[in-house]
Amino acid sequence: MIKRNLIIALGFFVLFATLSFGVRADSHKINLVVGEWAEGPLTPWVAEFTEATGIEVDIQPFPFRELLATIEVRGNAKADDIDVIFVDAPLVPSYAVRGMISSMDPYFADTDTSNIFAQAGIDAASWDGAMYAPPLNNSGQLTYYNKDLLAKAGCAEPSLIESERITWEEVVECSKKITDSASGTWGMVFDQVNRYYQLQSLPESMGGGSGVCDGGLSVKGCLTNEGWMKAGQWYHDVFNTWAISPKGSSQGKTDQLFASGKVGIFVGGSWNEGTFTGAEINYGIALHPYFAEGKPVTGCNSWHMGVWNYSKHQDDAAKLVRYLTASPDVALSYVNEHGQLPAHHSAILYVAEHPKFNNFPKNVLKVATYESANHCSTRGRTPAFLEFEEIVNTSFEDIANGGDPASILQGAESRIESSMRRYQ
Amino acid sequence: MSTIFFRRQWIVPYLFLAPALLGTIVFKLYPIFLGFWESLIYTSFGGGIEKRTFVWFENYQYLFDDPLFWQSVKITSILTVIINPLQISISLGLALLLMRRTRYIRIIRSLYLLPIGIALPIATIIWGLMLDPYQGLINGFLGIFSIPPQPFLVSENQALWSIMAIATWKGVAFWMLFLLAGLEDIPTQFYEAAQIDGANPFQKFRYITLPLLRRTILFVFVADTAANFVLMVPMIILTKGGPMQSTNVLVFEAYRSGFYYQDWGRSLSIITILTVITLIVIGLQLLFLGESRSERKI
Repeated sequence: MIKRNLIIALGFFVLFATLSFGVRADSHKINLVVGEWAEGPLTPWVAEFTEATGIEVDIQPFPFRELLATIEVRGNAKADDIDVIFVDAPLVPSYAVRGMISSMDPYFADTDTSNIFAQAGIDAASWDGAMYAPPLNNSGQLTYYNKDLLAKAGCAEPSLIESERITWEEVVECSKKITDSASGTWGMVFDQVNRYYQLQSLPESMGGGSGVCDGGLSVKGCLTNEGWMKAGQWYHDVFNTWAISPKGSSQGKTDQLFASGKVGIFVGGSWNEGTFTGAEINYGIALHPYFAEGKPVTGCNSWHMGVWNYSKHQDDAAKLVRYLTASPDVALSYVNEHGQLPAHHSAILYVAEHPKFNNFPKNVLKVATYESANHCSTRGRTPAFLEFEEIVNTSFEDIANGGDPASILQGAESRIESSMRRYQ
Repeated sequence: MSTIFFRRQWIVPYLFLAPALLGTIVFKLYPIFLGFWESLIYTSFGGGIEKRTFVWFENYQYLFDDPLFWQSVKITSILTVIINPLQISISLGLALLLMRRTRYIRIIRSLYLLPIGIALPIATIIWGLMLDPYQGLINGFLGIFSIPPQPFLVSENQALWSIMAIATWKGVAFWMLFLLAGLEDIPTQFYEAAQIDGANPFQKFRYITLPLLRRTILFVFVADTAANFVLMVPMIILTKGGPMQSTNVLVFEAYRSGFYYQDWGRSLSIITILTVITLIVIGLQLLFLGESRSERKI
């Protein structure tokens, strides 16, 4: 009896130990960690890469926030189970400083990268003189407007001509006329509401800068200057004083609101065009708004690709990065099939010269390219960008929800400054 | 030799316990120790070089000087003080109601258990839609009674209460199950005797139900408290700790410090403090609600 019990107990123990420790699968695949939105566009090109090189690739898609968290967790563990990662342009310094991505210079040594990518893309891809993450694509912002709602409110349609560019002041005045709480109609919405990527253009237009001081290791006085304070107050008024935009909304909701004909003016990216054209609303496009006392500024840059520094397959990973970023065919497919601005010279030229981009609604790409090329302001360059962006996003959300802009921005500056001590 | 080994009967139960014990050490105690150890380390990237420095309790010192940390302590305290008694009172009330023998009691019980079957993230998303200030179902419902639309999750004054409501809706059915089982265990003879003695319903509840349900309530109280100390799904999905840090509980601040800001020293310092607070609160619950030594002898 005792012997039987002992054998059963040992059996349990062995079973548990086997289940707990398992057997690590031996895999020689390249693991590509991307944003879920890129899985579809990249899959056929990854298949072509495998066919051409014999290197198998496993695509691992994540939603935006989880993508960043996964990269952080794996980076903290110095895990070697990732080979290539998606890199948000402003995070290049952060990943480079912390040794999470490898320099791509050796893998582009045989060519001049300025012949492949637009200079803005190379600048965003580089830190401390080395290129870490070549750009996959670019982005640009513009104005969409509902022609029927604007006509009903008696507003003039915003223009595509530079000298007639609409101002934020005009947007507000028109939005006040359009907003009707009884019918749930709003004057204006942002695509990436409460997000630094899109809202950086507000303080930048007021002359407030990116929020990050020169050198990228401090925000003291740069997040609480006059431009930021004015922009913060304006953003507060949009949701509270004038109440022309709905509180508590988020990206993915606001474009649907515009598509349903319930918003007069929508400020967003070139990628929104597909949604609106499919919705069959009577809309037009115009240049991005600016403050009358300031200058036109729009968000820009997009996703890049980097080789994971802890990867055991660095050469294969670099081949994949070069294939996906430097290939004109991949860039063209992003333009034609996904409405995304290119960072590749040949695709930029294609958008500039192909006649289909002269007509509505495909001229969205041309307008966004114009804004990106002429009024782009890259996001703050700092190794502490993750902390910076999160705190700034939260601050915009608090301001929209009715908080005092001055005290919120002062609190944000203090918290970011504290976070930055680790990089100084 | 093997015969001698097998004759040592005392070893058998330990071998049976070994997997669970090993699991506890590997998955519970080791992470707690590792978390504490890492909370004493400060990681910097000055000059592009990662440097890990053992700084004793410096991370804790920074934390204690940070108003945001104290705000999180305040929010966690408010949440704990309100949500645990609230959930247990409602769970107990529901359990008592469901003990009544009525015709459709099985169907009614099933309906009450529905929230258990819905994952918290899904429930949170649904509640987020229902609490939308402009298009939400709840404001539409309030409108029937001429109550003006409420901001709920976008209001500094209402967000925490809204999250408490969501967590309570999701949690009470689960805790009710334990209390229901406890109530089923109380012998009916006690109630029959009390009936003969002329006790009213309140007296039966006060002098029979509550004392005999004490162990179950204690278990539920402790488990519920521990669960609510780590409640952060609604904060991640709906409020991100806002508006104005009004839902920024300690566990969310730790999550944000680690996963958003990669400040693991700060994150694990908060987690260590939260673990200590949880142990203290649970210890106090056991001390004041547990059975006294004399009671245990009976």
